[in-house]
Amino acid sequence: MKLMIVDDSNIIRSRISRIMVDARLPPIEIVGYASNGAEAVALFIATRPEIVTMDLTMPEMDGVECTTLLVESDPTARILIVSALSDKATAIEALKNGANGFLYKPFTDDELVNALLELIKE
Amino acid sequence: MSDLSEKDIEIFIEAIGDYFKQITKESASVGVAYLAKNAFPMNDYTGVITVSADYEGALYFSAPSAMLRHLLTAMKETNQSDENLLDAVGEIANTISGNARKYFGENMVISIPEKIAYLPDNLNELVRPYAYVIIIKWKHYSASLIVDISRKR
Repeated sequence: MKLMIVDDSNIIRSRISRIMVDARLPPIEIVGYASNGAEAVALFIATRPEIVTMDLTMPEMDGVECTTLLVESDPTARILIVSALSDKATAIEALKNGANGFLYKPFTDDELVNALLELIKE
Repeated sequence: MSDLSEKDIEIFIEAIGDYFKQITKESASVGVAYLAKNAFPMNDYTGVITVSADYEGALYFSAPSAMLRHLLTAMKETNQSDENLLDAVGEIANTISGNARKYFGENMVISIPEKIAYLPDNLNELVRPYAYVIIIKWKHYSASLIVDISRKR
C-alpha cells in the first residue's frame, strides 16, 4: 500500500517514516512527503497513495481543507489525522470532512502503528 | 499580562510533562508556575505560538541546543542540524498549545509555530509583563515554557 506523509515538521515526517520502517508493516511504500496542504494535493494526484497521515495546523492550506480535497479526488483514500489539536470539535470536523481516524500528538511508536493498522483493516 | 487561573496553568504543566514522558519514555521534572514581571528565561532556540479568537498573547518554549540534540537522539533522529533544532522547539510549542485546546476549546485558535534561534537581546520585550514561567528539567538540562496568554475582554 502506498503511504503519503503530510506534516509541516521535518522531525515528525522523519519520525513517522522511521516508525514505519522499524515496524515492518505489511507492504507499505512511502511515496512522498509534503509540508503543507497545497504540496500534499499535488503529490496526491501524482502518486495516488491509498493511505495518508495528515497534520492539521500547516501553512498555506490546513489539514482539514486538504483532507476535503483529497477525499473529493479519491473517496477510497484512508486518511489518519495526526495532530496536537485535542479539542473534540476539531476531531469531529476532520472526521466529517472525510478523515478516517485521529491520532493525537505526542504519540508513541506503538500508537502510530496501531492506528495505521486499524486504518488498513477497515 | 496573563489572566489565566492556577487551574488554567495546570493544563500547560500537564501537557509539557506528558510530552516528555511520551517522547522520551522518561519523566521530566516540571516546576510550579511562577509569575515573572520581566527577565524571562530564554535559551538558544525558542518556538512561539500566537493565540487568537477568544484569547490573545503567545506561548513560548525555549530550550538549549544540547537539550534539543539529546531529545532528537531520544526520538532516533540523526539529523541534528540547526533546522531540525528549530523544528523541535516549534513542534513542542505547537503540541503543548494544541493539547491545551482540549481544555480551552476551539476558540483558542493557535498559529503555526514561529521559530527563533539565538535570541536577540530584546526578545524579553516581546513577552508582556506578568507572564507565567514553568521550568522543565530533563536529564541535566533546563528549558522554559512561558505562558503569556489572556482571555480577550
